[in-house]
Amino acid sequence: MIKKTLFIIGILFSLSSCVVVKEYEKVNLNDPDMVLGDKKADRNIATAHSYREAAVGANGGKTGGGCGCN
Amino acid sequence: MSMLIAQEQDAEKVYKKRVLETTEVDFISSYYTQDGDNAAVSGGIGTEELTDVTATFIVSIPLNDDDVLTIDAGVSAYTSASSSNVGPFDDGPASPFQASSGASSSDLWSNITGNYAHSSDDRNEIWSAKASVSSEYDYFSLGLGGSYTRLFNEKNTEVSVNANLFLDTWKTIYPTELRPFGANGNGLSDALFNRNTITGNTNYNPNFTEFTDKGRNSYSIGLGFSQILHKNVQGSLSLDVIQQQGLLSTPFQRVYFSDVPDSFIDDFQLADDIERLPDARTKIALGGRLNWYLSERFVLRTSYRYYFDDWGINSHTATVELPIKLSDKFTIYPSYRYYNQTAADYFAPYEAHLSTDEFYTSDYDLSEYAANQYGFGISYTDIFAKVHVSTFGLKSIDLKFYQYDRDTTFSFSMVSAGFKFVMD
Repeated sequence: MIKKTLFIIGILFSLSSCVVVKEYEKVNLNDPDMVLGDKKADRNIATAHSYREAAVGANGGKTGGGCGCN
Repeated sequence: MSMLIAQEQDAEKVYKKRVLETTEVDFISSYYTQDGDNAAVSGGIGTEELTDVTATFIVSIPLNDDDVLTIDAGVSAYTSASSSNVGPFDDGPASPFQASSGASSSDLWSNITGNYAHSSDDRNEIWSAKASVSSEYDYFSLGLGGSYTRLFNEKNTEVSVNANLFLDTWKTIYPTELRPFGANGNGLSDALFNRNTITGNTNYNPNFTEFTDKGRNSYSIGLGFSQILHKNVQGSLSLDVIQQQGLLSTPFQRVYFSDVPDSFIDDFQLADDIERLPDARTKIALGGRLNWYLSERFVLRTSYRYYFDDWGINSHTATVELPIKLSDKFTIYPSYRYYNQTAADYFAPYEAHLSTDEFYTSDYDLSEYAANQYGFGISYTDIFAKVHVSTFGLKSIDLKFYQYDRDTTFSFSMVSAGFKFVMD
């Protein structure tokens, strides 16, 4: 597990920027559908996944904590 | 000189954009229903029927140019045929495939989370701190967390670190037939066994002990890295390390041993024990996302996540979503998600564990399976927020439907609706 973790950290920090996109060129990147995180509207389906799948985060089940046991 | 300094300060004030222009309110609601034939409450057999209705308000308030306070409050109410069978002998013939009317057939989860975020003047640094409280009948959770984000390279690159802590406490609820064999119980002399007749092995005598540790602590740390790759493409990587300690078993989930004679009341098999899992677990997840603005009409959103833990579970998740802009107001969201996982080392199906095992569970959420999820959504956006409710303008509506099917008997579906309002 330690080797896997170090490998993952290595990948994460080995990437670096190869281009610089100026602010005035970011109009497409600023489109709401380009956001890299989950959207607020998707939070309940993410909760369902955390309930029914073993590969869940620290809070067991629902956003903000809970046993996720039902 | 002092006038010059004052003018410079005024100039900064003029050009400093507020992090959040006005108060925003999101209302998110969903209806969830599931079914399957492998209920963990009845040891890997029995109905998994469950419905859940959730409603959440998220209010984001700009405190000044730099600081935003977000209050997130929600409730979730469920009714479950599966968990009703914690006590299956309340009324009528008991069966793992029929719901009971016991107190455990429904519950209400409630949560409130407060998050405070501060951005630096140049908007290249963001600090945040949050606290949460959530409660169910048999579970209480207190959460604390914080994060730091740094942007550089003309805001083309972003790195972040976050940490979270959850301090949870169980109110242990055990299957009805095991309670007489716990502390201060009177075994087969209990009224439960006077009211009901045991068949099969009539000398029912489970080797049951109650949990002494009722706490569960979870610690997580996450690293994030995102990068603009092109004026139409951006991606991110994330690493999460999670450590859990304490009572990681669910106290009301039964286990049946193959080397113990079976006892029944009606059609319901009496528990040999409850699931027993180690009191520590380390989880690691690596995720990646890549979003591509294909054209004014199409955006491609993709993600992949690899997960492994020291209970023997390995998992892959891949998602793809293709937002299609039909007009400046309407967008549709077809999506697909694939998920698989290997079984936990401690999982075995109904009647497959041995009483000599140290750890055991028949919870199929810890079994090996693959699942496909198909989704479809539609959103309405009005950037001018013309429709009003009091002083709030309706900015967007999101409607989504998901169908999730495992390669076992389990499936669920969900309908969700989200409404975003902005204050005038």
